[in-house]
Amino acid sequence: MEISIIAEKLFSLGGFPVTNSFFVAVLVAVLLAITVIFFSRHPKEIPRGVQNVVESIFEGLLSFIESITNDRKQARDFFPLVATIFLFVLFSNWSGLLPGAGTIGLNETNAGQVSMVPFLRGPAADLNMTVALSLVAVISVQVFGILALGIRGYGSKFIVAPWKKPYVIGTVVGLLELIGEFAKILSFSFRLFGNVFAGEVLLTVMLTLVPYLVPLPFLLLETFVGVVQAAVFSLLTIVFLKMAVTSHAEEAH
Amino acid sequence: MEILKQIGIDGKLLLAQAVNFLILLFILHRFAYKPMLAFLEKRTERIEEGLKNADEAKKRLDEAAKGEERILAEAREEAKKIVAETREASEKRGQELVAEFEKKAEKIVEEARERAIEEREKLFREAKGEIADLVIATTEKVLREKLDTDDAKKSVSRFLA
Repeated sequence: MEISIIAEKLFSLGGFPVTNSFFVAVLVAVLLAITVIFFSRHPKEIPRGVQNVVESIFEGLLSFIESITNDRKQARDFFPLVATIFLFVLFSNWSGLLPGAGTIGLNETNAGQVSMVPFLRGPAADLNMTVALSLVAVISVQVFGILALGIRGYGSKFIVAPWKKPYVIGTVVGLLELIGEFAKILSFSFRLFGNVFAGEVLLTVMLTLVPYLVPLPFLLLETFVGVVQAAVFSLLTIVFLKMAVTSHAEEAH
Repeated sequence: MEILKQIGIDGKLLLAQAVNFLILLFILHRFAYKPMLAFLEKRTERIEEGLKNADEAKKRLDEAAKGEERILAEAREEAKKIVAETREASEKRGQELVAEFEKKAEKIVEEARERAIEEREKLFREAKGEIADLVIATTEKVLREKLDTDDAKKSVSRFLA
């Protein structure tokens, strides 16, 4: 049994290496888009059936964001990014729990060693996906910050002249903030990758050791971890967004 | 950059994952979030408006009821006042009329009495004249007759004696 930290390549598409995790990521995105659009189109004035569920999810998420931002408009601005991150991460994590993920594949001989290439791999068990998502999130944070405060206002969080009020301390703090922005990318991506990859390893090991019943609690645990990681990722995104659009002067209050 | 390769980071895949996510974000935003949020917002507004209208209607109804009561009370008061005023005025007028008629009646009676007295005096005067004439005539007649008789002669003789 060998579990690779790198997503395995399934096939090449015009020089582009399609890995199993990328394949699943696209699959999840397509299914998610179809499902969400299907359930949220043509809303009726008086909700019935599924519309109640969809509405309460929307309302719940929106009021959750609002409880952090304390601002209805900001909540509405952040909603698309945060909701998409939550849904995409959640279903990516759960897709890695499907039977066959990480276990069904073809044996491939590479440099004299035989290794199994699974067809399906959780998208978040691949650093490419988590880093890409973190970059999107952190860049969005910067964009929202600049849009809200202007380039000068937002830049003044990071670049503080040493002859101004808190003097050198302000400059150093600004520098640390700047490093912090890059650290966010790392913490975002490795947190998600670590949790999901560890879960997959755990499940594979359990399945290999005791195929029946014993992996079940771990499967439930991983289902829960999937929700938690999706929530953590989107929650942190909201918090960072809120911090970015809040100016120094407001923070002081 | 060797370490990036070792942990499986590939520029093409990274970009593809980001694009995948952004497309999902765009599609969901365009076709799900936007219409749904707009719809929810609109309904919230409508419900708020409806509640506000209901509140206002209730307030107006209360006000109208209060106004109605007030107007009724005022009207009642007014009517009472008018009735009282009318009664007072008519009483006063009645008294005035009675007084006037009494005065007139007194005057008429007074005039009648005066006229009656005048008439009587006139009658008296006329009667006196006639009575005087009658007395003279009668006295003449009586005297003439008396003087013709013996007795009268005797009486005259006696007086003369």
